[in-house]
Amino acid sequence: MLIGLDVGSRAAKAAYYSGDGYEFRIVSSQNWEDLLRDKEGVVVSTGYFRKRVPHDFNVTEITTAIYGVRRFIKRKVDVIIDIGGQDTKVIDIARNDFRMNDKCSAGTGTFLEYIASYFALDVAELAKLHRLAKCAAPINSTCSVFAQSEIVSRLVEGYTKEEVIKGVHHAFAKRIAQMVPKRARSVAVIGGTAKNRGVVEALGKELGVRVFVPEEPQVVNAVGAVEYYLAREGER
Amino acid sequence: MIGITALVPAEVIYSCGEAALDLNNFVPNSKLEPEEKLCAWTAIWRELVLRGKVKIDKLVVVAGGDCYNALVEGEKVELAGKPTHYFTYPFDRDSKVMQEELNALAEFLGGIKEEAFDEVAELKKLALEIHEMRCNGEVSAEKGFLIEVSGSDLMGSLEKYRSAIEEVREEEVDYEYRVALLGIPPIYPDFHAFLQEVGMHVVFDEMPFEFIRHSGKNLKEVARSYANYTFAGHIKHRLRFLESQLRRHRVDAVIHFQQFACHHKLEDRLLRDYLYEKLGYPYMTIEADLPSPTPQQARLRLEAFAERLREVW
Ligand code: SF4
Repeated sequence: MLIGLDVGSRAAKAAYYSGDGYEFRIVSSQNWEDLLRDKEGVVVSTGYFRKRVPHDFNVTEITTAIYGVRRFIKRKVDVIIDIGGQDTKVIDIARNDFRMNDKCSAGTGTFLEYIASYFALDVAELAKLHRLAKCAAPINSTCSVFAQSEIVSRLVEGYTKEEVIKGVHHAFAKRIAQMVPKRARSVAVIGGTAKNRGVVEALGKELGVRVFVPEEPQVVNAVGAVEYYLAREGER
Repeated sequence: MIGITALVPAEVIYSCGEAALDLNNFVPNSKLEPEEKLCAWTAIWRELVLRGKVKIDKLVVVAGGDCYNALVEGEKVELAGKPTHYFTYPFDRDSKVMQEELNALAEFLGGIKEEAFDEVAELKKLALEIHEMRCNGEVSAEKGFLIEVSGSDLMGSLEKYRSAIEEVREEEVDYEYRVALLGIPPIYPDFHAFLQEVGMHVVFDEMPFEFIRHSGKNLKEVARSYANYTFAGHIKHRLRFLESQLRRHRVDAVIHFQQFACHHKLEDRLLRDYLYEKLGYPYMTIEADLPSPTPQQARLRLEAFAERLREVW
């Protein structure tokens, strides 16, 4: 068996490949050991902690994103946006240019978690509310501190919770869009946040391009680790 | 001891019976958190001098054709009482103007006493030999870089520089890719060693190579040589020079190292357009601010760059 093990800042994901397909498992970062329990095989690690966990090979999450997306999306993608818990990466595949935003939580999964907790919601519920909004409340800030004061102002002005959340998604998307090269014609979004349809819709609007989301956006890098191994193995 | 802030013809300083000390050498390992900071290099050396942590008698600031941050920091040092001279490279590479600059520099330092031109030229030739060994994979980038970057002040003493060169031993460097490091020398002290770890051997350090490339047997020759300092003139000369050097060094990929709040950042687009778009060299830009070991984010991007080199190019 081949095991793609992606241990990031918040979640650890495994992709188990037996030859005829993948199985996945996701746990919180601290419990990554659970992913290897009772499993035998070649471990290809990736993610923030790739060198800290037992592995036979390790590869950066930038390369695995490219391989993983290739497996899930059967068409040409110019740019991959990997929205992680702690950072967001923009991978310009054609030019091999990688940009990262890790200086603060703006534009990362942590920011949306913060917003969800402000409304006493689970982060998975944000998309549902987004869909119910008639318009997007104007929100400019993606700094957690400033965003909160803007949110309060918008609510006071009479915008609904749904409209504010939609506004937050647009601000979030705008922030990420600044990192995406203008030439990009097709974009794939990966990472847990890609499950949020609101964010994906907002990104499509901000970028003015088609945005593809792989079926299992959270395990793309784990799958990519295996795919990378298979491709390199083929060469050996 | 004469503090210098960038490339100042050291052969003139030594010929005036003085010794040169490149203040930048103290920056990468400094823990100091400077106030009033734009670029970390200039802010840190300014603080080190003002606080007396680095002792110099006089300061020579490269004020023209290089860096305006350094110019202002130099003014601060001067106003705090340190004799300071402002050295300017001619933008149009006029060697007569360059020679006047060298004369003014010599005058500031009390005039030429005993010419050291030949000895410095000989030392730089020896340093170029180390450079060749590095190109041939016989010296690590880390060691080669140290010799080349020290070409700016010759380690404060010609004897010291000579023994440092003599101490370099041939070794076998294991690498996958030959890389050129362009722009400002990295403010991360472990940068070359890290690149080596991920299979990238730096065979060409743009600015340090300039430090050992220029010399001459007399003031006139020195002026002619330094007038061609590529960082000081129009960038078209630099691009052309880089093109030939990348070819000569059989470079596989280019890393442009830039510094927060440095005007050279604006050149990234021009370098990328020329070297990547036109000539096709894989190209990556790294930007740094304060000195530290190479941060995780930069490591990740560079490692991914190496992984991509393996398959794309
Ligand atoms: S990095 Fe730029 S701003 Fe800083 S000293 Fe060098 S040239 Fe000046």
